[in-house]
Amino acid sequence: MISVKDLTFVYEGARKAALSGVSMEIRQGGFVGVIGPSGAGKTTLLSCMNGIIPHHFKGDYYGSVKICGKDTFDCSLTELSLVAGTVFQDVDGMLINATVEDEVLYGLENFGLPKAEIAARLEEVLEEVGIAGLRRRSISTLSGGQKQKVAIAAVLALRPQILLLDEPTGELDPASSRLVFSLLKRLNRERGITVVAVEQKIMLLSEFASELAVMSEGRLEFFGPVREVLRHSEELEKIGVNCPRVVALSRELEKRGLTAGTLCVSVDEAEAEVRRVLEG
Amino acid sequence: MKGLLEYTEGNTFIHRMNPLVKLLLALCVCAAAFASDSLAFLAALLAIDLALGAAGGVFGKALRLLAGLLKAGLLLFVLQLLFFREGRPLFLFVTDEGALTAAKLALRFIAACMPLALMLGLTRTGDLTNALVKTAHVPYKYAFTLSAAIRFIPLFMSEMEGVMEAQASRGVDFDGGPLKKIRLALPLCVPLLMISVRKIDGSAVAAEARGFNLRGRASGYKDYPLGTADLPAAALCAALVALGIIT
Ligand SMILES: Nc1ncnc2c1ncn2[C@@H]1O[C@H](COP(=O)(O)OP(=O)(O)O)[C@@H](O)[C@H]1O
Ligand SMILES: [Mg+2]
Repeated sequence: MISVKDLTFVYEGARKAALSGVSMEIRQGGFVGVIGPSGAGKTTLLSCMNGIIPHHFKGDYYGSVKICGKDTFDCSLTELSLVAGTVFQDVDGMLINATVEDEVLYGLENFGLPKAEIAARLEEVLEEVGIAGLRRRSISTLSGGQKQKVAIAAVLALRPQILLLDEPTGELDPASSRLVFSLLKRLNRERGITVVAVEQKIMLLSEFASELAVMSEGRLEFFGPVREVLRHSEELEKIGVNCPRVVALSRELEKRGLTAGTLCVSVDEAEAEVRRVLEG
Repeated sequence: MKGLLEYTEGNTFIHRMNPLVKLLLALCVCAAAFASDSLAFLAALLAIDLALGAAGGVFGKALRLLAGLLKAGLLLFVLQLLFFREGRPLFLFVTDEGALTAAKLALRFIAACMPLALMLGLTRTGDLTNALVKTAHVPYKYAFTLSAAIRFIPLFMSEMEGVMEAQASRGVDFDGGPLKKIRLALPLCVPLLMISVRKIDGSAVAAEARGFNLRGRASGYKDYPLGTADLPAAALCAALVALGIIT
């Protein structure tokens, strides 16, 4: 679905490469969480996937990115927009309409969908993201978190095959963050939508993502199933990525020889594991 | 000035009027102000502006707008007094014709700016863009540019406010007369302009990523039919321009 090969990118005028030698293969229906300290190149990686690099940002570009088998170099941003939807990190810059309703309508109108379809999708997505009550509000009166939900709704409404999200929960409270990720997971499971989400909250990723990509200084340090990547907790700490506490607990149990081989990534799993240890 | 140009939600007949007719009305009031040479007519135009504001449920906002424009108008008035040399001297450097011309200039300026600002406050930018594309057959690119320009103003002002607050919290004293304020704010303009331009550039890319180039004339969701208020409004437009030319 998304195939990145030996990708190196240096922004025009920059001295250091923002991405160096990144290769990754994301299958259709995958749910990839991208994590890493700020400046690691996460946003740059997403920009390469949605075509903003090389179509908008210029620079030295080596390697290739293919979306559904097509090189992003050979497709226009518009062609790519039909396949991949992006929730940008800068939500304010992404919202270009006066009201919530207009913002969600924007892409739907551009895509030229029939009116009945537009109406149905508008209702549905506002409900799903939990912003039906904000429908007629002016965007400039919303809080950061509310704006983020609007941005997510505006992209979800387009039902892209690939969803790219850049820190979509950065300004959301824990409950809303979970709501967003459960929704992403549901779309991922039910509609087979491929999700790539940059996210700082490791707990959300370990619970909802199926694969984890860890970036540091432009390199992809780890990429694989969540459990396998989380095994490298010491290296992750060094990079600046803290593992969830349940993972630390589970690793500790394993080190002491109390459990064997199963890494817990959620509180429920850890609870069951601890019970087993205590009983056994 | 904050928020004065932003859309105010509402359901008055002005809100429901066809966006193009609203634009036409605003432009006609503007044109009438430029065409007219009568103080009374210019004052009447101002009254019409305020009445339209009241009808749109934004009378308070219209008054604040008027207050803001009066300040700029005053500046124009004084400048004009300084440089106008014809007519009988009244006192100091002021002549009677100078005072009259200056008053007209200031009033004309206010009467021309008010309707456009009010129109923006009572029309969603999105509706205006869509109607321009669907009904007036303006290419979407140009209509979008117009709406981006309109969005640019409050964006610039809120950036400005943010930077001024940040400076104030670091000890820069913005209190004091308008001259001091301008002197302190002036050096901020270039970086602010750059920030705002970068933001607009970013949103243009975001728009492209949501199918900007796919937009055609047929792809609007809403229709903009002419309503009951639109015909009288169009008649008012014609009458105002005609009166402006006569007076
Ligand atoms: N538009 C740009 N021009 C030049 N350098 C940039 C630009 N955007 C990002 N960078 C640089 O590229 C590197 C990676 O940035 P980014 O991808 O935004 O990181 P992250 O999203 O992980 O915080 C950083 O060193 C940053 O300074
Ligand atoms: Mg980033």
